[in-house]
Amino acid sequence: MTSLLLWISNARWMVYIRDSSFGMPALQSVHLVGLTMLLATVLVLNLRLAGFRMMEWPLSSLERQLRPWALGAITMVIFSGIIMFLGNPAKYLASYPFLFKMTALTLAILLQFRVVRGLSTTDAGSRPRRTDILVAGLSLTLWFAVGWAGRAIAFV
Amino acid sequence: MSLLGWCQWLEHTPLATAISESVWLFPLIEGTHIMALPLSVGLMLMFDLRLLGLAFRGGSAATMMADVVRWSKVGFGVMFVTGGLLFMTQAGKAYGNTFFRAKLLFLLLLGLNALVYHALFVPKMTQWDAAGRTPLGARVCGALSLVVWIGVIICGRTMAYQF
Repeated sequence: MTSLLLWISNARWMVYIRDSSFGMPALQSVHLVGLTMLLATVLVLNLRLAGFRMMEWPLSSLERQLRPWALGAITMVIFSGIIMFLGNPAKYLASYPFLFKMTALTLAILLQFRVVRGLSTTDAGSRPRRTDILVAGLSLTLWFAVGWAGRAIAFV
Repeated sequence: MSLLGWCQWLEHTPLATAISESVWLFPLIEGTHIMALPLSVGLMLMFDLRLLGLAFRGGSAATMMADVVRWSKVGFGVMFVTGGLLFMTQAGKAYGNTFFRAKLLFLLLLGLNALVYHALFVPKMTQWDAAGRTPLGARVCGALSLVVWIGVIICGRTMAYQF
């Protein structure tokens, strides 16, 4: 595993991306545009789930319409993120913010694409509203923790 | 004093040096600037999707204005304060930076775009909302906003690599 990571991080295409003047800015830009889009869809959807905003749209309709944008955005973020990771695996694996970020990300994805999606396809009247508020709050907390942890990788 | 001279003076004000020299102040301000992206630009992109009919179908643009666009102003407030502080710490270098200049130009363009949208399409919003059809001009504003905001993010991220 270690030798595979090392081999990839020294592959010619990887060195080119990592050390060229535009490779990293381009990857980081894709990462940030994806983050903006992803967290905005998550924000709108969770505010609707909690029953605070966007009440004109049924939750299930909103979830269905935002799904392609959320999936597109998360693809951008994960794709650019994996390439950045592969460029310097030793640095990331030794970084506590990175390990925290991956843990929070896994939980956020599970909560958002399992629990929130599940709640959005069942009748809201069948459960207490505080469940919706709790799930929405937890999901938003996790997603923004992922973002802050990501920023911390550069500084810690 | 020239504009460059003013930028260099700004960089050496006590506030700017305090931010640059602090271990946690710069990361905190920069992190806030980035984490406010979804609250500002992100929510605008959501409204653009509504104007273009690419999401939020079955609901009114007026509700989107009240529930999304209004709250993005809070995000933009945070953006301008943190962005201004970040600029102070590197004003001299930012002044001559192509990506920084492009970013400012894009922001100006987005401001004008928003003004046009507010002047031409907001007054009659209830009518075209009720008709269920977004005017072509409003859709053009939405498309422009979508593309140029992405340009702002790219310029903002790229300029940091040149300091």
